[in-house]
Amino acid sequence: MNLEMNARLDRLLDRVEKPARYVGAEVGAVAKPLEKGMGTFAFCFPDTYEIAMSHLGMKVLYDVLNRDADLVCERVCMPWSDMADLLRQEGVPLFSLETRTPLRDFQVVGFTLQYEMSYTNILEMLDLGHIPVLASGRAEDMPIVIAGGPCAFNPEPLAPFIDAFVLGDGETATLEIAHAVRGLRAKNARREDILMALAQMPGVYVPRFYEPAYRADGTLAAFEPIRSDVPARIKKRIERDLNLAPYPETMVVPYAEAVHDRIVLEIMRGCTRGCRFCQAGMLYRPVRERSVERLMDLAEKLVAATGYEEISLSSLSSGDYSQLSELVKQLTERFSAQRVGVSLPSMRLDTLVGQTLADSAQVRKGGLTLAPEAGTQRLRDVINKGVTEDDLKNAVSDAFQNGWNSVKLYFMLGLPTENDDDLTAIGDLAKLVEDAYYQVPKGQRAPGLRITVSAATFVPKPFTPFQWCAQDTLPEIGRKQALLRGALKRKSVTFNWHEPELSFLEACFARGDRRMADVLLQAWKLGCRLDGWQQHFRYDLWLQAFADQGVDASFYANRERGQDELLPWDFIDAGVTKGYLAREYQRALDGAVTPDCRDGCQGCGLQGIAGACAP
Amino acid sequence: MKMQVVFRKGERLRHIGHLDLMRAMQRALRRSGLPVKYSQGFNPHILLSFAAPLAVGIAGEREVMEVPLDTPVSTEDFLNKLNAVLPPELACVAARQVDDLHPAPMAALFAAAYRIVPAENAEAFQAAAAEFLARDRYMATHRTKSGEKQIDLRPLVFNLVAKPEGLHAVLSLNQSGTCKPDLLIAALSDVKHIPVPACRVTRTRLLNNLLVPLENA
Repeated sequence: MNLEMNARLDRLLDRVEKPARYVGAEVGAVAKPLEKGMGTFAFCFPDTYEIAMSHLGMKVLYDVLNRDADLVCERVCMPWSDMADLLRQEGVPLFSLETRTPLRDFQVVGFTLQYEMSYTNILEMLDLGHIPVLASGRAEDMPIVIAGGPCAFNPEPLAPFIDAFVLGDGETATLEIAHAVRGLRAKNARREDILMALAQMPGVYVPRFYEPAYRADGTLAAFEPIRSDVPARIKKRIERDLNLAPYPETMVVPYAEAVHDRIVLEIMRGCTRGCRFCQAGMLYRPVRERSVERLMDLAEKLVAATGYEEISLSSLSSGDYSQLSELVKQLTERFSAQRVGVSLPSMRLDTLVGQTLADSAQVRKGGLTLAPEAGTQRLRDVINKGVTEDDLKNAVSDAFQNGWNSVKLYFMLGLPTENDDDLTAIGDLAKLVEDAYYQVPKGQRAPGLRITVSAATFVPKPFTPFQWCAQDTLPEIGRKQALLRGALKRKSVTFNWHEPELSFLEACFARGDRRMADVLLQAWKLGCRLDGWQQHFRYDLWLQAFADQGVDASFYANRERGQDELLPWDFIDAGVTKGYLAREYQRALDGAVTPDCRDGCQGCGLQGIAGACAP
Repeated sequence: MKMQVVFRKGERLRHIGHLDLMRAMQRALRRSGLPVKYSQGFNPHILLSFAAPLAVGIAGEREVMEVPLDTPVSTEDFLNKLNAVLPPELACVAARQVDDLHPAPMAALFAAAYRIVPAENAEAFQAAAAEFLARDRYMATHRTKSGEKQIDLRPLVFNLVAKPEGLHAVLSLNQSGTCKPDLLIAALSDVKHIPVPACRVTRTRLLNNLLVPLENA
């Protein structure tokens, strides 16, 4: 950014809320000069700085790209509304945190797609960055806009805005894309040719080369490439060996406190449990562990480089990491003298063992979060969350005996086959937790029991056995929430629920097709942005956007799909097969539990990928 | 023993709040490997005290903090180790050993010197300084959490000097009265009936009751 622009931007910071979000210059941030010939990559996080800086994927890809001498990666976050308005008003383009370079000046602009309700932020960021929101409107020299992350597995609602999607693990794929674009730009290749080159790369989907056709009833009739030289099916990328995959040895230490402000160690990727609602559990297969040796080495370097006081072990289900107690033991032994605590989010309650709790409590005592997900055993069997009431009782008893006094319980509301008994049973579980607390003698238990019950509205997601299911209608969700509120009227219990309208829109985008892109564009034009933030969520404007575009939201959210229906994401090979998902859906309806696949292959499709699954 | 440290909060970091700055210093101390002292309890933190919090938006040239140490460290060693892990915008510029009985910097603090550079109307703004000093009193409205309060600013302003690089102001900063730079800026604008200009404010020194820099006292 030139000096004059820099000075203008600097003055804007005097006028906004939480200016520390826009300062950059943190410890661990990269300060590489953006020289001619370098491949430049803007990692864009479509939410605010505090959220962005908590995200592991950004830390990993930032490191991967910046290790490369020919590449430089800088961060760009969604500004809060006051800053967004000021940037527009003053004509200052959205800029990177490191060198305050306008978004427009990067070769590649890459968004991570973590949450459907951040999609309006993508349009807002492109527009603030002086890049046309529609890919078709981008001039030759404009950045190539790419996107990856879990939501990229149904890319269609974003198809007109994104030049290329990356499916699956990003470490190698992102590096390849950055190099390819750099090389082609150096040869002054045409934009179309760059996109064509990307379309040839494994795991890359370039939507402009594909076209859907619809039936009269609105369902998909066909989805095919419009030229013969691009693949008809796109296979997700997989990093085979996490011990060989790159991992950051330093992390940016933000000044403004991030939501999760700590060292994150990814101990394992993937999950073999097969919970039927869980998209991550399907998308991140196969399971791969990092070795204790590698993790200890990374922890050593990260503690020295960042000065953080906490190491958080990250995975989808940390209790399933085969060396967990050994790792926690070594970490506490090595770092307790330096007052570095170890925290273990994402523990299943059937794997929470007393010793692990005691170990992790040795240095730091955080809250305990457990996710039974459903109130009755019947419904937990339907969703294949193989935990029992006894598991919950044992876990909380252990915790209360170890000095915990606060427990968070996560549930989902609106799961397939759910009835009112399943909901009132959530109240019984809260009572069970309360009883477990009072069974620990006074004096031995920490005073002041707090039970927080959160009930998220179930959103059916692609590549899960429930991808065909209808979401409950809004009135039905409202009725169920009221029922649950009644069942949870206890002094020790706080009940949190999500705004159902937000989950409804999330459902529309999660399984939407390209026609949802028109709704998205219209909603953004009407002023929707920062939808995930309650104070900015404008459901009325969203309804207007659907009406303006003549799109029926319930077609996407509340419709049960036929087993033979062509789904908008069927052209993606995510590893798990449609046959396996259909089989699992039928077993759900039958109330049949499917065991963890480490106890016997369930034939999900990953076994077809050489070396993917441990024998 | 304690180490009294003079550090800067650079222009680029002037929008960092006090709590953020404190956390950044604690993490730097952890990276440095210096023998710092920790608090007791479940979430131990590094013992560390600052002479005075610096508001969001204000840079500091010679801020003062005190770091208790478990074992003695030479000032040279201390500065080398800490500066090696601090960003240049937060560099330590001086340090000295003080014994445990040396009064905390917060207790010795009496006033602070600032440099105030208005974005526009610089001449009128600087001329206002002389007029302000000529007054016996200047009543201003001070907004606090508990409501509005009328205070006489004049006795809280020890000196104002118009210099080519900006207005140099020495303002009271202690329990009996504090004049924040924005109150002075509003007052000077009011004296000359000009709109309140956007200003770049830098705290240049922290002073004791003899108006001697804390680090020299």
